[in-house]
Amino acid sequence: MVKNLLPETLEDALTIYFGQPELVPYSGGTDIMVGSSCEDKNFLFINRIPELKQIRLDNEFIRFGSACTFTEVIENDLTPTILKEACKKIAAPAIRNVGTIGGNIANGSAKADSALIFMVTNSLLRLQAHGSERILPLRDFYIGRSKTAIKQGELISEILMPKQNLDNYYYEKVGARKALSISRVSFAAILDVSDDIIRNCATAFGAVSDVILRPSEIDNMLIGKSIKEAKAIKSTYIATLDKAIVPRSGRVSIEFRKDVCMNLISDFLESNGI
Amino acid sequence: MNNISSSIPKIDHLEKANGSAIYVCDYDTDDMLHGRLLRSSIAKGIVRNVRIPELPDGYFYVDSTDIPGKNQVHMIQDDTPVFTNDVQFIGEPIGMLVGPDLKKVGSLLSETQVEYENLAPVFDARGSEDIFFDFNIEKGDVEAAFAHADRIIEGSFETGLQEHIYLETNGMIGKFQDGKMIIHGSLQCPYYVHGALVDATALTHENVIVKQDVTGGGFGGKEDFPSALACQVAIAAFKADGKSVRVVFEREEDIIATSKRHPSYCDYKLSVKDGKVTGMVSDIIVDAGAYTTMSMVVLQRATIGSSGVYNIENIKVRGRAPKTNTVPNGAFRGFGGPQVFFAIEMMMTHVAKELGVDSAEFKLKHIVQQGDLTSTSGKYHFPVPLKQMAAKVLKESDYFKKQKQYKNQTGRYRKGIGFSLVFHGAGFTGNGERDIIKAVAHLKKLKDGRVEILTANTDMGQGLATTFTKIVSKTLDLPPEKIIFSLPDTSRVPNSGPTVASRSIMVVGELLRRAAIRLKDEWIEGEEQLIEQRYEHPSFMIAFDAVNFKGDAYPTYSWQATVVETTIDTLTGGISIDNVWGSFDVGTPIDESIVIGQMEGGIIQSLGYAIMEKCTIYNGAINNKKLCDYIIPTAPDFPNMNVYLYVDEYPEGPFGAKGAGEMSHVGGAPAVLDAIQNALGTKLSKIPFMPEDVLDILREEKLDD
Repeated sequence: MVKNLLPETLEDALTIYFGQPELVPYSGGTDIMVGSSCEDKNFLFINRIPELKQIRLDNEFIRFGSACTFTEVIENDLTPTILKEACKKIAAPAIRNVGTIGGNIANGSAKADSALIFMVTNSLLRLQAHGSERILPLRDFYIGRSKTAIKQGELISEILMPKQNLDNYYYEKVGARKALSISRVSFAAILDVSDDIIRNCATAFGAVSDVILRPSEIDNMLIGKSIKEAKAIKSTYIATLDKAIVPRSGRVSIEFRKDVCMNLISDFLESNGI
Repeated sequence: MNNISSSIPKIDHLEKANGSAIYVCDYDTDDMLHGRLLRSSIAKGIVRNVRIPELPDGYFYVDSTDIPGKNQVHMIQDDTPVFTNDVQFIGEPIGMLVGPDLKKVGSLLSETQVEYENLAPVFDARGSEDIFFDFNIEKGDVEAAFAHADRIIEGSFETGLQEHIYLETNGMIGKFQDGKMIIHGSLQCPYYVHGALVDATALTHENVIVKQDVTGGGFGGKEDFPSALACQVAIAAFKADGKSVRVVFEREEDIIATSKRHPSYCDYKLSVKDGKVTGMVSDIIVDAGAYTTMSMVVLQRATIGSSGVYNIENIKVRGRAPKTNTVPNGAFRGFGGPQVFFAIEMMMTHVAKELGVDSAEFKLKHIVQQGDLTSTSGKYHFPVPLKQMAAKVLKESDYFKKQKQYKNQTGRYRKGIGFSLVFHGAGFTGNGERDIIKAVAHLKKLKDGRVEILTANTDMGQGLATTFTKIVSKTLDLPPEKIIFSLPDTSRVPNSGPTVASRSIMVVGELLRRAAIRLKDEWIEGEEQLIEQRYEHPSFMIAFDAVNFKGDAYPTYSWQATVVETTIDTLTGGISIDNVWGSFDVGTPIDESIVIGQMEGGIIQSLGYAIMEKCTIYNGAINNKKLCDYIIPTAPDFPNMNVYLYVDEYPEGPFGAKGAGEMSHVGGAPAVLDAIQNALGTKLSKIPFMPEDVLDILREEKLDD
């Protein structure tokens, strides 16, 4: 028998999920409905829960409710431009109107366009279960191809984007066409420079490997450096990244993915005078 | 422009827009059985044993042993079996499981096991020794032309598979009741299906009835293929105790198992004397796949078209269609044209580059004129307006200025502009209309003064219901509401031929116009009247010799001049289409909106073919079988299209109309590849040309530096 449940508070949802962990959380359904993956399953609908649909600001974070649709994220004034830009490139308007950022993360895809931005901004996930909750860096959430660290009974309730200067960003989605396009390579980067010192440098590469790559240790090479110093170690930085990026072949070749990544990182640096 | 061209709302618009149109998958299935085909998992081999799980009540299996007639799908040649025991490609139908619950049928199918004796398949068309068709054209004296040439320039060209991706997948419903087999579904050619069913069922002509359901796109993909599916469904219907049997393909099954555009390999040699092309030797190979289906006619069109729109006095062409153990390639908008026009258009740009002259001017210097000989030594009987059409698009696009400006660019984005000239021979190749089709159309006047169009031609979204209605309404001076056009049913309509080859308006539309003139003359108020109109071959045509390829292959031609402007992203390999300018002469447009839609749609399909739609086969299995892997264009991809209609009236077509449907799929690919050549400063010879190919070229460029 099909038992689809439609709770209206997060607490109800978590209680139900605790009792029936076999339920499939369903928000926009835009991934779940593809193919036959929705057959013979019971759903826990989490798209009518107000707590999951808020976008707000606190002292540390921009807090995005996981059930916010891409359209809601795009239209919200608190959303930084880099995230708006990435969300606008997802699928097509109809899908953006129902697909959610929580779903984009929960499906564990390295091609998720909004997740790339949450990665490059070092965002955290608030994971809630019946009677417990934890905060996990998004980077630690992805543990393998389509594998995540989510535990039984847990829902992603919020995505917490640390407040930071995101004015100077670089973003490129490489898809097979201009709409309804799955990323074949995606790249996001942030460079925050003040008084000629690099305060923050962050890069993330999507659709290249099993998980979104976020080489923060390598990016740290540039943090604290002046532009001139950064220039001096540019070739080492690029060579280190080159080693760290090991693409998988898929709809496009390994060589293509690698070339595009290296082209874009070079362009990102050059466009910032490095 | 004749005022018949002023657009009216398409007569099937509302039912399609509001969802009331009934497609195959919309029928109530409560009392129907569902069939699913058991398909081969190997590319070549003998079926030794089929082990079917125990079937519950109401479920049954049919295969070649259940066929009362011939185990052949009648097309042009009859080599395609209805159900095979001798597998020739992956996905070939062996049998069908049928039952009341589709899911159950699916699970029974997945439990069914087939034992094969494996045989060695052939996948490379160029290495295949099994040549289905081998055609030759000779005109003039090629040896002399080459002997006296200043230069001989060679080139090799390749085009890939293309899948139709009609919105609606193939589907068919069959019912055997009271000795009659009634088949209806998504199809282009009711009488093709009818002919195939008569052979397979061994029923009489009268006892086989074929009806078209509302059809969501065809593009040629529902020309030959539905005959096979209809036979399979009919064989199952015999066993269904009077119930209907329905088969509707999922997209993946449709991509794996139905026809596609033939991949091609074309080798060219052109002789040049005093800056002009004097001779051409071309070797055209189209990969037929496992059965002949439509390959003979596709190859005819390819062979005949291989010299493009150019007046090359001395030519020698060989066209071959080898067999491979892959899904049979069949009819697809353009029908061999997109392959060879891509090749000759690129070849002409390469020759121009070798000679150091502007390629657009070089092409224009060579185009045919009225009265010139065709490649088959027939005649271009009517004016060739290509010069004027080319002038229009070259001027509107500012081609010459941009083309120079876009040479030697550096920086992330590089722009390019390209130009192509193509034709499409209108109607069937050779004497097909006169000797094989012999079209008949009826107009039936009802007592209440309404007039019904009775033809076998189908509207699959291209607008035929509207254009036929307009032709009759205009000729009879009646409002369109007084004209009835129904989905064809072979028990009611005469055989006016298939809806293919850009022939429907030109040939059948003219029959309707002539019938309408007669009806107007003979009109008797309050009485039912039937007017029959039979095809008459145009008297000016030089009879076509299909063995030696001599004579008029087509009565007339539609023409197209196209400019495409593109931007290449050198970091990502991205190819953006910035602008398209196309001038089209399809004679008088019977409906301007419909024709512009057809021109835009064909251009989009052609550009998709060139830079997006990649379908590869590995060991006989299609890799790109989902819409996330087989990428077709979306609206944002090709935003700016400037369509200009140039009207050169064809005296034998209704109101001056000639063929319109296919040509626009021919001109886009060579124009965009020429634009990419311009942007990257290189010579290109292969489609699909993808972002990966852009980066490959740039990588080589870096190595050369």
